[in-house]
Amino acid sequence: MTQKVGIVGIGHAKFGKRTDATLRELAYEAVTRALEDAKINVKDIDASVIGVACEEFAAQVSPAVLVNDYVGMGNKPVFRAEAACATGSAAIQAAWSLVKAGLVDVVLVVGAETMTHLGTLKATDVIARAGDTRWEYPFGATFPSFYAMMAEAHMHEYGTTREQLSMVSVKNHMYGAMNPYAHIQKAITLEEAMKSSMICYPLNLYDCCLISDGAAAVVLANEEKAKKISDTPIWLKGLGAASDTMMISERETLTELRATKIAAKKAYGMAGITSREVDVAVVHDCFTIGEIMAYEDLGFCKKGKGGKFIEEKQSYIGGKTPVNTDGGLKSKGHPLGATGVSMTIEITKQLRGEAGKRQVNGAEIGLSHNVGQIGQYCFVHIYSR
Amino acid sequence: MKFGYVSCLPETPLITRFVEELKNNRLMGTKCEKCGAKYLPPRAHCKCGSADIKWYEAPRRGKILTYTTVVVPPESMSKYAPYIVAVVELEDKTRLLAQLTGVTLNTLRVGMPVQVITRRVGADRIVYEFKLV
Repeated sequence: MTQKVGIVGIGHAKFGKRTDATLRELAYEAVTRALEDAKINVKDIDASVIGVACEEFAAQVSPAVLVNDYVGMGNKPVFRAEAACATGSAAIQAAWSLVKAGLVDVVLVVGAETMTHLGTLKATDVIARAGDTRWEYPFGATFPSFYAMMAEAHMHEYGTTREQLSMVSVKNHMYGAMNPYAHIQKAITLEEAMKSSMICYPLNLYDCCLISDGAAAVVLANEEKAKKISDTPIWLKGLGAASDTMMISERETLTELRATKIAAKKAYGMAGITSREVDVAVVHDCFTIGEIMAYEDLGFCKKGKGGKFIEEKQSYIGGKTPVNTDGGLKSKGHPLGATGVSMTIEITKQLRGEAGKRQVNGAEIGLSHNVGQIGQYCFVHIYSR
Repeated sequence: MKFGYVSCLPETPLITRFVEELKNNRLMGTKCEKCGAKYLPPRAHCKCGSADIKWYEAPRRGKILTYTTVVVPPESMSKYAPYIVAVVELEDKTRLLAQLTGVTLNTLRVGMPVQVITRRVGADRIVYEFKLV
């Protein structure tokens, strides 16, 4: 019961518009790489937790069973996790709990989603139904619109500028251009970002993450097995989770995600660290304002100073806390179920020292922050070597 | 009569009652008789667990807390785009999301006073919306 839980295998499918693969093949691509990385066979796995956010995107009811069967898990137990855009991190917390409770020794976590086949307007419609379908969806409120309203409130209250929002996008595209698994591997200029077409004022195209297909997989194991499987297990040291009101109109504040603050406090406490000790972080930049609020709500800077934090390049490698060194959701893409698992993979690479050109030298403590909707779900994980 | 520009839920007694009042220009919320919590839009049950709720008429005046213009809409809202969505704080501090009509974005500011009005959409739909005072 007191054993630590370690990450012993990671596998990332290429994110993008994947017309060559459906959910099952994308999952296979990620799982095969995770098993190769761990140098184990699927027979060595005791159970799986599969994160797929939405049946309508998967075009499949019971998608977890499909994935579990396709990757050769046979009769092993399978669980499905769902937490909207934070589905992948929910799957990791559920898998961690299975191992920690002693029910299983080694567990496979897969996050996968296929979204691009629906097209932008239909995909926007499906995601809009993650807003309250009685009182928000009927007005045409979309997820870009919720974050846009938070951006407007943040700009009004703290003087955050549209230029600062675009700076987040420029940084994440710069790192995404160095990530072979990213959907868009292209650096952009501040001018390009600022002049892109409007989606929901004040958020334009480059303030919004991509609609992508993709999958990611990790293998978790208890301490004893982890040390046998891997020479460099990465330990999950702190896990926090929180929720919030379904409707934006019931939020006391529109300039922070309270669930982030609560989940972060729990995770820092469990890991016994403060925000200052985080060497590298991946945060939920579904929209650029999301990353700015995350700097503040995770304690990387003071409330209201998130805009300055990016302007001063404090979230670049070499700055105070490097953030989204994999390109973030913005450039890497955001296949809902895969995102949280992909975040765990980036931190694992960073702590193993395998991030190549994107490496934060000597990184020992990492953090992932995964938000569902506008903080209706939030998961914060702390990792160490 | 259905509630919303678009909808995907059945017409239950709660929404039917709400819509009947809205037709007569009355914006109705619910209040918990046990703990006093107020809900606008209305709920059939309180978050304290009580089902002992009463309807009340909500104030119609408030101020803009935040807003956005939806340029890229969900597929089902395509014919209405672009449109403004706002969150407003009413005089009794309850908050409401709806569309804001009759203004252009460059004249809008956080804090502007608005009123809540009833709007018919086509022959068989109804919504509440915000209008600058």
